[in-house]
Amino acid sequence: MNDLMLSQEVHSPQEIICVVQRLREIAREQEIAPQTVLDVFEKWAGALDGRELRQVPGLAFLRLWLRRGTLEPILVRELGPDFLDGHWREDGRARLRAFPLGTVGHWPAGNIEIQPILSLTCALLGGNSCLVRVPSGLLEITQQIMEKLQEVDRKGLLTARTCMVSFDHSRTDIHEAMAQAVDGAMIWGGAQAVSQVRKLSFPHWARVAVFGPRLSVAAMDAETWGNPAERSSWCRRIARDLWQFEQRACSSPQTLFLEYGAGCDPGEFVNDLRRALQEENLGHPRQQIEPSLTSGICLARALWLLEDTANRAVFPASPDWTILLGRGSEIPKPTQGRTLSVLLANELSEVISKFDGTVQTLGVAVKSAEREEKLAQTAGRNGVDRVVKMGRMHLFSSPWDGADLIRPMVRLVRHVPSQE
Amino acid sequence: MSAPAEITQSIDSLFTEALYRLEPKERHTSLLALLKKELAYACNRNLRFRNYVEHWPVHFDTADTLADLPYLPVGAFKANPPLALVEANEVKRTLTSSATTGQVPSRVVLDAETAKRMTKGVTTIIRDFIGPARKPYLVIDTPENLSTQGELGARGAAIQGLRSFATEVDCCLRRDPEGNTSLDLEKLFAFAARWREVEVLAYGFTYVMWTQFVQPLRSRGITLGIPNVRVLHSGGWKRLERDAVTREVFMEGVASVFGCSADRVIDFYGMVENVGVVYPDCKHGNKHVPAFAEIVVRNPLTLAPVVAGEKGLVQVCSVLPTSFPGFLVLTEDMAEIIDYDECPCGRRGTSFRFAGRVPKAEVRGCGNLETTRYQ
Repeated sequence: MNDLMLSQEVHSPQEIICVVQRLREIAREQEIAPQTVLDVFEKWAGALDGRELRQVPGLAFLRLWLRRGTLEPILVRELGPDFLDGHWREDGRARLRAFPLGTVGHWPAGNIEIQPILSLTCALLGGNSCLVRVPSGLLEITQQIMEKLQEVDRKGLLTARTCMVSFDHSRTDIHEAMAQAVDGAMIWGGAQAVSQVRKLSFPHWARVAVFGPRLSVAAMDAETWGNPAERSSWCRRIARDLWQFEQRACSSPQTLFLEYGAGCDPGEFVNDLRRALQEENLGHPRQQIEPSLTSGICLARALWLLEDTANRAVFPASPDWTILLGRGSEIPKPTQGRTLSVLLANELSEVISKFDGTVQTLGVAVKSAEREEKLAQTAGRNGVDRVVKMGRMHLFSSPWDGADLIRPMVRLVRHVPSQE
Repeated sequence: MSAPAEITQSIDSLFTEALYRLEPKERHTSLLALLKKELAYACNRNLRFRNYVEHWPVHFDTADTLADLPYLPVGAFKANPPLALVEANEVKRTLTSSATTGQVPSRVVLDAETAKRMTKGVTTIIRDFIGPARKPYLVIDTPENLSTQGELGARGAAIQGLRSFATEVDCCLRRDPEGNTSLDLEKLFAFAARWREVEVLAYGFTYVMWTQFVQPLRSRGITLGIPNVRVLHSGGWKRLERDAVTREVFMEGVASVFGCSADRVIDFYGMVENVGVVYPDCKHGNKHVPAFAEIVVRNPLTLAPVVAGEKGLVQVCSVLPTSFPGFLVLTEDMAEIIDYDECPCGRRGTSFRFAGRVPKAEVRGCGNLETTRYQ
């Protein structure tokens, strides 16, 4: 067993420095070809089919992500076809080739079970060695997934260049040591977490890629939500998006805007949505909840209904899900925990034109392709990075947050031959 | 407009009942009936509150248990203007919670009737623990907090609530012109010398009592020698927990400076949104609910009431307020239900133990935005 790979609890900055020194040496001594990484990932995807991991949220997606068929097109798009073979690419009189940054530090968010792994894979594809700070709540799951990598990576090609560490989030000295030791960083999380990590003293050459914090919304035109034949299937889609990651992911819809339409009854829509949420809850009941989230959900219900007597809401006695129905074109403060604000608005374009850079994903259900294209244009101009079909809001792909996932962690080296 | 006579008479009748001796089912039935009437009244008086109640999954008229009735989360009382069931000119006093720096305090409005019931409620409960006799009252606070004018904070409300037990009142803290608070030793020694032989009442906020009273006296090795004191304290433990002061350490510390036994030190839990109800510890360390109130401890996952031995979110219930909709309030505190009847102390009904504030979530997702990018 490679002692670097599995989660190790770190108690001092010196331990981090030692780990990074070893990781850096391994990465320098053993270059790894992208095709080799893809081969190991493919095997890893196969090994993740075990029964013991089926309950891990997002695991089905991770298996899909690790497939060559998913990652190869991303690599080609971000770095070009030559990168796959480790060749230099002709660029006029010069040649270009991607090289790893070195050691990449990862600070994943604690709310998405597979995120430490997703972040890790992006940097491994670039040939880097990786140091991942695993949030305390994800240690067990991450360990289980990494054990599967260890099973398939018998030669230690990837496990040798990977180290998962854990330490208390308040240990600024260890965070600081980790930041100073790495050549690149991938940071994911909420406002507080991201701003704290960004404040760390990274080396001046380090590349820092930040994903989050963002929020997401969904929008439906009247033709779609007003159509009884289609409505319930769209409601099931939004329920799926709402359920994943407890609505704490940056791609989770917090608000659904419904465009007004003659003869469209919001009451009927809410009834369908209620049924969809009830079904989703039956299929995927919550196993646990932070008491503070329960308090937040109860408060959101109360404040919404106390604020305006025209506001409506539908919710069960439990905190399982909540629909807050009203009118408006502004995004209310998100509550999370499957609390969806459903707002009736006159014009979707008016709503979208008010977005600022906080909106990451716009999930859409729009009948006319031409109209949708215009809305996507407006969304793009107003800071939205992803416009996707409702029901697919969490589909992780590159670019994410408007940025490539692999390219930020590689350097493009330019070689102009001396002998022409 | 006052609450209907039917309601006020029912509330008054509960004061004549045995405070902690009612059979739980019988008590539940009478509280449920009265709370339904109060909810109907509140819905008529406040349209916003009615909108909330009408959206509750179970209509209160058809509720079989008190736990099914619509409750308000405590954060709803931070609204400005405060949620009220009376006209502005009927408001006699506004109580504010002890919010920490930067937080918005809760505000509840009291009309004359509710204010009277608040005093009566607290007095009736405390009497059950310290007896009916009036005593010299040592307030471990500054005289400024004795003021009865204007808005009243949680500290002031607790001090005032015990005043009816006082033959005379002395404050043993003083504030200098810079706003610094210190112990008035001269006054304290005079109080101790004068009342050494008789039963005395002392009250202070838990944190204030520890930092401004116990610590300074202990550091000088002073024991007041008032063995017959009854010490009451209330308020959060958060800061003391941070300083690693446990309940046992606190009680022994307080007892040592007064020169009394630790069982004369009583912690009580209360909140301004739950006017007129306080929950002192019995000698077995449990808290009890009086005839005019109830506690529901809810499982955070389901919001259903927990079974004895389990912890959850505390919901306080009281029939006393008629000037604001504070009948059923979900707090941000956690508690453990000890039993739904039969505490060894002899008090009947729900007994529970406070288990701290709802912990703030550590895990915050990438969807957690604290500020918008462009304002």
